[in-house]
Amino acid sequence: MGFNNQRIALAALLLALAGGLAQAQGFSLREVAPGNFVHVGSLEERSPANGGDQANVGFIVGSRCVAVIDVGGSLPVGQSLRAALRRVTDKPVCYVILTHMHPDHVFGAEAFRAEGAEVVSHGNLPAALAQRLRTYLGALRRDLGDLADGAGIAPVTIAVDVDQERVLDLGERRLRLRAWPVAHTDNDLTVLDEATGTLWLGDLLFVDHTPVVDGSITGFLKVMDALAAIPARAFVPGHGWTATAWPAALAPQRDYLAMVVRDTRAALRARRTMEEAVDTVGASAAPNWTNFDAFHRRNVTAAYAELEWE
Amino acid sequence: MSIEQIRQAMVAAMFALLALPGLCNEKAEPDPARSQYWPPIRQMMFGERPIEDGRDVLRIYLNTRADDASTVPVAVKAQIDQSDGRYIKTVFLIVERNPSPAAGVFHFTPDSGRVQVETRLRFEDFSFVRAVAELNDGKLYEATRWVKAAGGCSAPGGKFRIPENMIGQMKFKFWDDTVEAAKPALVQLMIRHPNESALAADFDPTRTPRFVRSVKVSYAGKTVLTADVDFSLSDNPSFRFFFVPGQQGELEAVVEDTHDKVYVHRATIVEGVPLPGG
Repeated sequence: MGFNNQRIALAALLLALAGGLAQAQGFSLREVAPGNFVHVGSLEERSPANGGDQANVGFIVGSRCVAVIDVGGSLPVGQSLRAALRRVTDKPVCYVILTHMHPDHVFGAEAFRAEGAEVVSHGNLPAALAQRLRTYLGALRRDLGDLADGAGIAPVTIAVDVDQERVLDLGERRLRLRAWPVAHTDNDLTVLDEATGTLWLGDLLFVDHTPVVDGSITGFLKVMDALAAIPARAFVPGHGWTATAWPAALAPQRDYLAMVVRDTRAALRARRTMEEAVDTVGASAAPNWTNFDAFHRRNVTAAYAELEWE
Repeated sequence: MSIEQIRQAMVAAMFALLALPGLCNEKAEPDPARSQYWPPIRQMMFGERPIEDGRDVLRIYLNTRADDASTVPVAVKAQIDQSDGRYIKTVFLIVERNPSPAAGVFHFTPDSGRVQVETRLRFEDFSFVRAVAELNDGKLYEATRWVKAAGGCSAPGGKFRIPENMIGQMKFKFWDDTVEAAKPALVQLMIRHPNESALAADFDPTRTPRFVRSVKVSYAGKTVLTADVDFSLSDNPSFRFFFVPGQQGELEAVVEDTHDKVYVHRATIVEGVPLPGG
């Protein structure tokens, strides 16, 4: 091995060590637009190894205060996010915004309680989450064991009604929140940072991770059309990451959902039963997505139960 | 014992049952004869009456590994023909690990055509599903299937709230383009209803959960199917079954829920004429 090669190997070793340290400190953050910080979660299924770190979460810093957008799937994830935030800014957290009710986005709330922030969500979130809470907490305990300790929800103090917008001012930075009709869930909320044109989508956009329908598949497609018309300059999906530009980045998810709708309608026309549809619809899309087995068949079940009324 | 009495007794005993270890971590299918959930349910529903292996009388069809615990399609199909001499009078459909395990009690007559009923179930935990057929001679036969699905009862009554003015909407969906007199025809009855579970996490125990409790289907004034059902059925309850049409007659469904609302849906069926939609 020549001198240069040794140097390269040493540099690689140091980099690996630094990477390990960064990981030990908790949490990777990327500044996707000025003042917009995102932590990209794991695409793997929830396990003690990843501690419930599935969703993309982050925060936006204004001149006066900070808005956190989603708090992660467990108290440790929420704590890591808060620690990462505190390495970036000392400003108070004035808003905790929840993009929808799913556990991987909301269960780290306890980490931000001491901030005394307003908790902001879609108007349908409190009821939707209350109904599912026991199931969600039970499943979290089953998957994470002790790492589920401290998981819980924060009482919502600002609710945005469906189809309404609400503007939050962080000081020289206005966030435009919009509560959508039934799509991924019945309580999807997006955040647009007007200063940078950054659109935080929650799970209205999945990248690489199989899209999940826990609301209405036809509603999801309609909302995606409306999203595509927003002239965002940067965007944050709920899962996964991509270098593709907006709105082209919506295409894989739209193609998947449209395929499930088309093929489920065809199965209904051919008078296939729900089981037959679930066995046949869309299986060829598997190579395009992670966690396909865990979610695709459920999506077809939901699509069938929705579309059979047409 | 009525399904209502069974439900009340079982929901009262629910907390004791829930204290039994959960089955979600079980990897292999357990032995149905050793289930600790079945003896009290069996005792309450059938007392000491013997129950025979039912493989020649009825079968359960469902996916052992369910994809969505709140919507698990299940079919119970008779292996014998209905005749005046020997027929299936009642099918009890039981999800033994559900807090209200008697999901449905379906009544048939010699005129029911083929005894087959398909519906969709919620599962609170990995569970055996049992279908017990009572024949006209009073004998009981059982079929059993193991299902891995959990969280479907404490999951909400739907992915979104059904507006009040839509509750009770119904649709008949036929599996053929036309019917032929005297030939059993397959039809699906769809009911728009939240079928609220008393087990949803935010459920107020002082309120009566609103779910469909009875379904009666008749053709030309003769009973096709009657069912006492429960919130172990999925939201927007669905039933698929056979009826035997004549040259012309009205198919009628009467559905009653626990808030004493009654919904009626009718369709006129004429031999050889394309079947009505919705």
